[in-house]
Amino acid sequence: MSGTSVLTKQKINKKDSDINHKEIDIEVLTKSASRVIAPLWSISTFAARNPWMGLEKHSFDRVAAWLKNSRNVDIYPSASMIISAKSNGEIDETYIKMGLQRWIDSHSFKIPRETLEQYCHSALKLDSLPSYLLSSQKLKVLAEEFSGLNTDSIDHSMQPISSRIDIEGGKRLVDLLDYHMIMWCKLYLDDSQAGWKMPNREEGFYRAWQRLIQYDPALSKKQRKHLIGFPKEAKLALKKAIFALEIPESQIQGYLEGHLLSLPGWAGMMLWRSRQSSQEQELLTEYLAVRVSMEYALIKPYLPLHNQQSESEVSVVPLIASWLHWGGLSIEDWSKLSVAEQNEYLTFAYQFNDMVRRKICLEAWEQTYSEQLCQKIGAKQREADDKKSKLAQFVFCIDVRSEPFRRQLEKEGPFETIGIAGFFGVPIATSELGSNHSHPSLPVISKPQHIIKESVNDYELKSYQQRKSAVNSLTYTFKMMKQNVLSSLLLPELSGPWLSLQMVARSFVPKKANRFIRNLRETWLRKPNTALTLNHDKNIEAELPVGFSAEEKVKYVREALKLMGLTENFASLVVICGHGSQSTNNPYASALECGACGGASGGFNARVLATLCNLPEVRAELSSEGIEIPEKTVFVAAEHKTTVDELDWIYVPELSETAQEAFNYIQAILPKVSQRANSKRLALLPNFKSVFKDPNAEAHRFAEDWSEIRPEWGLARNAAFIIGQRELTKDCDLEGRVFLHNYDWKQDESGELLANIIAGPGTVSQWINLQYYASTVAPHYYGSGNKAMQTVTSGIGVMQGNASDLLTGLPWQSVMESDHEAFHSPLRLLIVIQAPSKYVERLLNNDSSLREKVQNNWVRFASVEPDGHWINWN
Amino acid sequence: MLVSLSSTMLLTLFFIMLIASGLSGILLLHPRVPLSFVRIHIGINAIPPLISLLALVNTNVNYDTIGPWFLDSLAWLVVFFVLTIGLIIQRFSIRYFMGDYSYRKYFAYFTFTTGAASITWLCGDLRFLVLFWGVTLVGLTILIGLNRRWQVVSEAARVSKRFFMLSWLSLLFAAIWLFQATGQWQFSLALTNENLAQLGTWERTGISLLIVLTVIIPAAQWPFQRWLIESVAAPTPVSAIMHAGLVNAGGIILTRFSPLFNGDIASIILIILASISVLLGSGINLVQVDYKRQLVGSTMGQMGFMLIQCALGAYVAAVIHLVLHGLFKATLFLQAGSAVRHIELSTHVNESSSYLWIMVGRALGLIVGVSFWLMAPVAGYPLISALILGWSLSVSWTQLVALGEGRIGRIVGLSIIGVFAIVYFIIHNLFYEWLHISVNQSVQLPISVVIIVVGLLLLGSAIGTWGARNHSSSIFPALYLWLVRLGEAKLKSVDSHPNYLKHLINTRR
Ligand SMILES: [Zn+2]
Repeated sequence: MSGTSVLTKQKINKKDSDINHKEIDIEVLTKSASRVIAPLWSISTFAARNPWMGLEKHSFDRVAAWLKNSRNVDIYPSASMIISAKSNGEIDETYIKMGLQRWIDSHSFKIPRETLEQYCHSALKLDSLPSYLLSSQKLKVLAEEFSGLNTDSIDHSMQPISSRIDIEGGKRLVDLLDYHMIMWCKLYLDDSQAGWKMPNREEGFYRAWQRLIQYDPALSKKQRKHLIGFPKEAKLALKKAIFALEIPESQIQGYLEGHLLSLPGWAGMMLWRSRQSSQEQELLTEYLAVRVSMEYALIKPYLPLHNQQSESEVSVVPLIASWLHWGGLSIEDWSKLSVAEQNEYLTFAYQFNDMVRRKICLEAWEQTYSEQLCQKIGAKQREADDKKSKLAQFVFCIDVRSEPFRRQLEKEGPFETIGIAGFFGVPIATSELGSNHSHPSLPVISKPQHIIKESVNDYELKSYQQRKSAVNSLTYTFKMMKQNVLSSLLLPELSGPWLSLQMVARSFVPKKANRFIRNLRETWLRKPNTALTLNHDKNIEAELPVGFSAEEKVKYVREALKLMGLTENFASLVVICGHGSQSTNNPYASALECGACGGASGGFNARVLATLCNLPEVRAELSSEGIEIPEKTVFVAAEHKTTVDELDWIYVPELSETAQEAFNYIQAILPKVSQRANSKRLALLPNFKSVFKDPNAEAHRFAEDWSEIRPEWGLARNAAFIIGQRELTKDCDLEGRVFLHNYDWKQDESGELLANIIAGPGTVSQWINLQYYASTVAPHYYGSGNKAMQTVTSGIGVMQGNASDLLTGLPWQSVMESDHEAFHSPLRLLIVIQAPSKYVERLLNNDSSLREKVQNNWVRFASVEPDGHWINWN
Repeated sequence: MLVSLSSTMLLTLFFIMLIASGLSGILLLHPRVPLSFVRIHIGINAIPPLISLLALVNTNVNYDTIGPWFLDSLAWLVVFFVLTIGLIIQRFSIRYFMGDYSYRKYFAYFTFTTGAASITWLCGDLRFLVLFWGVTLVGLTILIGLNRRWQVVSEAARVSKRFFMLSWLSLLFAAIWLFQATGQWQFSLALTNENLAQLGTWERTGISLLIVLTVIIPAAQWPFQRWLIESVAAPTPVSAIMHAGLVNAGGIILTRFSPLFNGDIASIILIILASISVLLGSGINLVQVDYKRQLVGSTMGQMGFMLIQCALGAYVAAVIHLVLHGLFKATLFLQAGSAVRHIELSTHVNESSSYLWIMVGRALGLIVGVSFWLMAPVAGYPLISALILGWSLSVSWTQLVALGEGRIGRIVGLSIIGVFAIVYFIIHNLFYEWLHISVNQSVQLPISVVIIVVGLLLLGSAIGTWGARNHSSSIFPALYLWLVRLGEAKLKSVDSHPNYLKHLINTRR
């Protein structure tokens, strides 16, 4: 399969003549090219991001081949990961054999089946060919008989032309281009980190660059001269540069894609910014204009280029060596084969390559997991649940970290736990007390509909703001003094003693020191008890309506309750649990927060929903619709702190008598729940020992220690998303690897609920899953590198080392247990729906994007029939 | 003193414990030793700094020489400081490097490097000093390049190695020359007034120039800043030890060789290069947007300031600065992970109503500065010090008091300034009491040089303020880009993606 041009095929068919380049719509091309990258948002709201979100129209395998050919990025798990998974029993050999049979059956070779199988079985052990064979003189002689295999040529069109030119120091010209671009991007995107802003920044990226470039000492006078007279408009400049580089019209989109993929992080940030404000909506075009113009200036001395697009020949030696090593042939055996046979053997070895082998193993790995999950769920006696009265009901986020906590909680009392997406269906932006900034607290795929603010009376607000700004002014003064030549010289002597005190305390009593600093801050701030602006207020001017109308309140509560499947049998206490994380000195702190709340804690949303549910007018309206919430039932909100597995109460109104009893009971058992959940979780985190006398204390150490590189595992090892009744998974140890969403098909005749679950939480979990997947299989390209060597740049993201692409995914330490052992298992998300197959069929028919993902293997898809029968849909 | 311990005893004890910590570092390298041994290792490492603290408290007014060792309060202070920084950074590394390929090596080399550095500053014999300083530099180079799978850090280590080599050779020649001229290896004996009087002018200048070259390289002064700029790629704790414990060596060396400097051409060259570096460092700090790169700019400027202090004969002030800056910079590096933070500034402050307050702050700054200068016994350095004090007061007053929000804001601002000022003076007094450095202060640079330095600093400050506001001029873009480029690493030390990770996931255990 010639993977290289797969993604540009539609374009190639257009007539390719010497049409005047001026007529091409560069914006349209930029837009189509942008699907190869994904928008990247600021690290302070790190939410899951699927790096291949624009490529799901193509199959996973095609994208894999295309990335391998055009960028040398491999997105199958590495051989060593697969081997170690095998030795841990995570891959069942029978699935590998089945996958192999399927592959052989789908190809035809004139080679004895037995020989083939022997070759394949050895090759699938994934050991590398011994070097003595590869360097063997005899083999080289044998190989010389072949002038080269007829294979697809490697197409360079996806790569910038500058990648074909070598410069000194083992670098290519494209590296120099990247080097320049990194600098321009970080200066332009700076979020008030530097004392001096980039000159002319307000005129846009391209214009600022165009006016500055004449002064850039990193370019030679000659290079700068090439850029004199470049148009003032980005689009025209891009056209001009493309024209000057003589890119054929049919290849322009592919060419732009190649440029975008060189620094996908910076380009992704530009793409995101271009969608945020109308002022910057052409930012991505501007980025490309700067980039291609720079390329032109750098490449000019090397023009005209000789067509270096050589047919890359496949080296024959490793292919022969593979037959000797895996196929069990001797050199004599080989020589006895006819030329035609030899050709056939070589073609086979070429086609059954490393990528194919690892693909088979990955699929076997996924099938093994799916089989194990099926066993786990099926092994349990499913007694008819009589919905007997529960002491309390807990609603958790679907996040995989909820599952172990829910399990421990259920063990301790007659509790029912429910899973739904952690923004609880309220599409809001949240604004904390005294802040002008609002955070869209919902999945990043949707836009907020309302803004909810914390409010208090004016007097308290004013004094709170004064206290808060007093704290901030210290930080700000530090910054101001640092940016002044004279006062910066005194700064170390002024702040040195205080900083060293803090450093010593944080080093030797990390837990106490951090807690002390936090308490000091909180005591000083004394944040007043706030109310929420739930009622719609026309008088407050904002981009979004503040608060909800009466109908909206009922609507959101109704939808949330239906999604939870909680429309009857209310316990007297219902706890809505958002979740948040706590870590110190961690630039990736928001990666540990709730993904459904846009990389922030879900506590605010929990409080909004619980408050809405307690409103008498909402209850009255619901009761007229048949959802009867008993008077004694009280909704409270809490926050599940995932780093320490504790539950913090954030909203507890006056409780009814029975609710109070339940509350007291919960309070009494919570320490035990935390203890158990923590001790299980801590055993997995790298440490000197795995058993602790006081696991809670150690968990707090992880949260408060400023030197802790892995405060918690986050969502690592996530593998499946089960949409169904809790009874299906209850008492199963799902090892914190599964997203759990409640769903009762009997309550969903139209299939609308299911469709919504798939479209919302389903997409969020798939993105989380692919982000972990990508960061594990290609940590250098899709991950964020080693945390120890990162530097925060422009206040928006991190770079590795001296300078690099703006890194996009999870850091090395979030997916790897150590430098030589992965923690996350790179498996594509397995979505399991508990519903009759006609529901599933209907869903697949209606939801084309889901169908695409399933068909193209971006997710794996299964369902559980009401009788417990398991069906695979891929 | 309550306990009076003899210097010999303390020194012996110190070396025994230092050797013990070195041995525990070596032990840790052995794969059979469990990783949890690292905590015992930290425990052992905590003892030498404690002994040096004890020795520091015990040191009397004068110095002792025992064999090749030269023991005075400065020596023990620096030893205590270096080992404490080393200890804190190793403690930090326990969790921070968890899972790293070179986990064991980091501890061994940290111990090795800080141990060698601490011995260096105890040496009275120039041969030992040169030797141990060389060992320290080797240790640091290894630490920078420890992740050798990554070509970026190997390149940074290579660049550093070349610069360090130059600095070290320069020190070596200076030592040999001094011995040739005076017949003494002990610097306390070589640098006596009689010996110095016998030195020819060119000899004295030559040796001084070599010493200047020795110190400005580790201090990353212009034009030798490149190694520090490229080694940002090293892991955070390595940067911390580099910026806290190594770059400031110049201040100590100059203090030790202070009798040599009598305000001749070497001092002038030193002060010129240092002043340029203060401006360039501050400039890099102003234009750069990467957290760690800003810190590099800052270090460059701070070290320039320390060298200015030395050149003007304010050695105690320089030592105070180098110690506090080390602690300051180590903290800022170690908390590099906290750089993602949103500070929301309130917009409630009415600028015009604060105008009067701002003026009060300026007047106050002026008064404090002038009175500080008038009270000072000598001209020279105190003029610069007074300028900086007054200026800082004015800046912090504007931010904390004048722009403070409401009454609470102003009261808090005032108390912060008060508390910081009190602590500042207490600490300075403490240092002046502790440090009994006998330095030859009779020779001063001409006041015109001081005034030039003051002028440069004021000019830098003015350009800094102007650059933050005025963008219409055409000089500004050129200056801006030039400063940006100055702070950037070379192409060779940049990798658009950390490709070495690809090899890590492909290698098997
Ligand atoms: Zn969540």
